[in-house]
Amino acid sequence: MLPSGVFNTRPEQDMAILRTKTQWLLLVAGLVFLVTLGLYVSGEWMNWLIMVGIYTVAAIGIHIMTGLCGQFSIGHSAFMALGAYTTAILGTRYGLSPWITLPLSGLAAGVGGLIFGVPALRIKGFYLVLTTIAAQFVIMWAIRQPDWTGKTYGLEVPAISIGGSALTEAQYWWLTLGLAAITLFFAKNIQRTATGRKFVAVRDNDLAAEVMGIDLFRTKLLAFFIGCFFAGIAGWLWAHYLLRINPDLFTFKLSLWFLAMIIIGGMGSTSGAVMGAVAIMLVDKAVPALSPVLESVFPSLGFQIPAALSLILFALVVMFFIFLEPKGLYHRLERIKLYYRLNPFAY
Amino acid sequence: MADVLVQGLLVGGVYALIALGFVLVFKSSQVLNLAYGEMIAVLSYLLYEMLAGWGLPSWAGILLLVPCGAALGYVMERLAIRPLLGQPFLSVLMMTLMLSFLLKGVVVLFWGSKSFTLPFTPHGQWDLGPISVIPGAAVSFLTALVIFMLLTILFRRTRVGLSMRVVAADPGVAQSLGVRVRQIFSLSWAISGAFAAVCGILVGMVFTVTPVMGDIGLGKGLPVLLLGGLNSIPGSAVGGLIIGLAESLGSYYQPGLEEVIPWLLMLVILLARPYGLFGERRIERI
Repeated sequence: MLPSGVFNTRPEQDMAILRTKTQWLLLVAGLVFLVTLGLYVSGEWMNWLIMVGIYTVAAIGIHIMTGLCGQFSIGHSAFMALGAYTTAILGTRYGLSPWITLPLSGLAAGVGGLIFGVPALRIKGFYLVLTTIAAQFVIMWAIRQPDWTGKTYGLEVPAISIGGSALTEAQYWWLTLGLAAITLFFAKNIQRTATGRKFVAVRDNDLAAEVMGIDLFRTKLLAFFIGCFFAGIAGWLWAHYLLRINPDLFTFKLSLWFLAMIIIGGMGSTSGAVMGAVAIMLVDKAVPALSPVLESVFPSLGFQIPAALSLILFALVVMFFIFLEPKGLYHRLERIKLYYRLNPFAY
Repeated sequence: MADVLVQGLLVGGVYALIALGFVLVFKSSQVLNLAYGEMIAVLSYLLYEMLAGWGLPSWAGILLLVPCGAALGYVMERLAIRPLLGQPFLSVLMMTLMLSFLLKGVVVLFWGSKSFTLPFTPHGQWDLGPISVIPGAAVSFLTALVIFMLLTILFRRTRVGLSMRVVAADPGVAQSLGVRVRQIFSLSWAISGAFAAVCGILVGMVFTVTPVMGDIGLGKGLPVLLLGGLNSIPGSAVGGLIIGLAESLGSYYQPGLEEVIPWLLMLVILLARPYGLFGERRIERI
């Protein structure tokens, strides 16, 4: 709902992503804030910020697939692995520059997504979920086998360098921020194109969408391609950040994290995906903070607490949202905004 | 070679039992309980705690574990799944996955990375003519057989079984006929929990009990389930045997292949016959 006194009088206004001056102001202020974070944040929290950025890119991929097009996927981290391994192999073996492997990583993951998306024409609902779980395990198994993927030991990844020197943490944060911003803009933009509307139509009722002349197969495959493309980009970012990748990074648990991100943030909302990524990463950050406290309370359980806590806390947070806030953080934020726009009236 | 085949079949019996736990719940309440594998793991560790920690004799531990399993199933349904009745399937699916995380967390919290074999596991090999079998697998296969027979009797001959079949066919009609649908939901979860207890004992006998043993639910249970059909009890038996056989053949020709064969079979089945070999073929497009 628009703020009081703002009316859409032209089609462009109706289509605008940012409608009011306040929104523009907040965007610019927010971007400036995020960019300058690179100047005075360092160490652990810098690492955290970069990981949030990387997961945001992947979460937006799954948002386009699941939130917009309704094609559920619990195999997202395997597609991320495809992207990461593409850049690792092309970079170390063939010496390609990371800037060339960036689109190639996305493409590799996207093509992987196309292959596992083909069954989506025939099946949906949890049959599709099961297919993507199978994709997770089959892809990760396949990556562990041949010598040229480094088996279970993984691969070295060349560092990204500009002008001869490798990127610093802060520069890597700016790179991540830039890519995440582009991804975010793409996701916002696709919702006002014909393709995005097709996605939503397929999600809401695929039979009706087909009757209206939407090519189901193409639309579903395109959703898979775009979603997995972004997973590949996220994989590229992660690989070049870690400088060393191995198959144990891309777990089934990570895939669930991505799904949890869009559930917590709010299904079908782009900014929700970002909020979900931040929320899940905050939970992840809370584990090492809480563990010493719990260890001092239950000394007999000792070493196991951090590992167990990360599982239990994550599960409890997601359960909380499924029970009490099933529409997610985005919806809650909208309600709060609505309240202040209407205040003191009820509607 | 014959050893390999027999071993595969015997292990397949256990897989069939795992899939059965999924089928029971799915048939009555249309919920795919992805936490089932972790239920098995938690119950295995509980049995270990009873035997090693509290010093109970084996038979008492086993007898006590089955009601514990039923209680676990009941509590999970009552507290986590029932409030989500009528919610989109993704919420329910995610909830079962989160339950599995919770249970795994409990296992890690109390037992860390300990792994062990159950004390009553028979050792050595049994020689039956030309082939030799691993006794743990043989015992578990026989147990699975008995359970399948009991279950068939339950569904075919008893009133409760009849109500469960009615609920499976159409909960709405069942309710209007006076069947207490919610009780049936609870009951099927409780039975499935009891099966998890039995699976916990059998899996502990065939393999060792490790913190990652819960993965067997996803890794083996799901492919068997899909192969047999989501709502078919004989399907899960046949599916279990097929997956067990395929797996042991796979590892015979190429060690390491056994991890991925169930998934590949599952993908093929999903592409060719999404409703499984024995599943109910629905008219709607799935």
